[in-house]
Amino acid sequence: MMSDDHTQKESILLVDDNPINLQVLFQTLEGMGCRMLVAKDGQTALTIADKKLPDLILLDIMMPGMDGYEVCRRLKSRPLTQNIPVIFLSALSETEDKVKGLNIGAVDYITKPFQPEEVIARVNTHLTIHRLKSEVQTQKDQLEQELKTVSDLQCDLLPEKLPDIDGLELAVYYETSRYAGGDYYDFSEMPDNRLGILMADAEGHSAPAAVRMAMTRALFSAYPSAPSDPADVLTYLNRHLCKVVEPSFITALYMVYDAHQQLMQMANAGHPPPLIYHVSDGAVTTWSMRGLFPMGIDLYDHVPVSEKKLEKGDRLLLYTDGVTERFNPAGEMYGEQRLIKQFAAGPAGNTKDILDGIIYDVEKFADGQSADDDQVLLVVVVE
Amino acid sequence: MEITHKEESGILLIALKGRLDGSTVQSAERSINEILGRGSDRLLFDFSELEYLSSGGLRVILSAAKEIKRRAGRIVLCAMQNYVKEIFEVSGFTAIIPIKDTVESGIAELQ
Repeated sequence: MMSDDHTQKESILLVDDNPINLQVLFQTLEGMGCRMLVAKDGQTALTIADKKLPDLILLDIMMPGMDGYEVCRRLKSRPLTQNIPVIFLSALSETEDKVKGLNIGAVDYITKPFQPEEVIARVNTHLTIHRLKSEVQTQKDQLEQELKTVSDLQCDLLPEKLPDIDGLELAVYYETSRYAGGDYYDFSEMPDNRLGILMADAEGHSAPAAVRMAMTRALFSAYPSAPSDPADVLTYLNRHLCKVVEPSFITALYMVYDAHQQLMQMANAGHPPPLIYHVSDGAVTTWSMRGLFPMGIDLYDHVPVSEKKLEKGDRLLLYTDGVTERFNPAGEMYGEQRLIKQFAAGPAGNTKDILDGIIYDVEKFADGQSADDDQVLLVVVVE
Repeated sequence: MEITHKEESGILLIALKGRLDGSTVQSAERSINEILGRGSDRLLFDFSELEYLSSGGLRVILSAAKEIKRRAGRIVLCAMQNYVKEIFEVSGFTAIIPIKDTVESGIAELQ
């Protein structure tokens, strides 16, 4: 039933300056159930093509005025008509004529005098190809649109603004590789000038990763008390994620900063360790700790917490592996070492400038090679 | 990405060569699942020629480990290049899957 509907809707434009040829073609094809349109010259053919957008055009080459080659060229140069398949139908039977016709964008070439069965068979084939191509394109557009919607929803899940904590300045960069992604960051402002910082990366990309990211976010926002203990927070998230994310996983780190004591605590579940820039000696170190596997795999027996006393001017860089695993056209990876070097060289003061410097360095390295993974960078400066 | 496998005295040895990343993860996962489908319960991954693995690659290894665990079997990873080893260490996977320096010590671990 579906295919009948399609056939009824399809239209074919016949273009020939000879009325007898048109008549014969019309009779040959009318049994196919398509709507038939006719034009006796090139200009009329273009006008009808623009107005009616036929599904196929059978085009004579030798016509007074504008010839078939020119009609085809013009059809192919306009966005509106360029995807309409054109079959040349001509008494010109030399190979070079056929090659010329195919080179300017025709899908087929039939020589006159033609056999009706051959014309019907070829017209059928090209109508089918055209129909399938349109269907694929429509589905692709629809998928892209859905993915874009997921991405917009996902951006709504990220914090609207950066937290306002005395003694701490933040700047963040978030970029998904192809619309939706699995990277996530969040904050929790607690009493007494304490701040919780969560960064997570759901493995994979696109819609499945976005769903896992959204689940993590929902769980974090439903945390039953003030999320002031990094071990408890990751234990809680993991316990719930273990029920739902298999066979995937989510790396995460959770930090709690106490502005009064200038003390940062961290628990890390398989996430790239943050970098610390120490203002005292200008050195950058990696805040590594004993590895805890990512969330969603198995329950944790024990979540280790590490803490560091920070000084005014110290900086922290949290990131997801999409940054360090950016590739350049030569197949080299940006890597942690380049990130450390750039972070160490970053300008003093403004967190936004520090962040922009890193983004610039990564993009310069990637040299136009697009990102395979989502990227998040979060710069924290103690003031 | 090239995946080869052989069986040696009851141990299934799977060797990965090249890069296990976004462009190869899906086909690698299919191949590994097919190899595991034959029902071995002692699995050794030889990573000596594995140059890189993404987080998607980690998931493939994790799925294999879970499958072996379901069969009450054992899995060992061995002969990692430094960069790959770093990925396993940073991601904490070393805590859930045993890692050995050489293929020989990997086999010994599983015997």
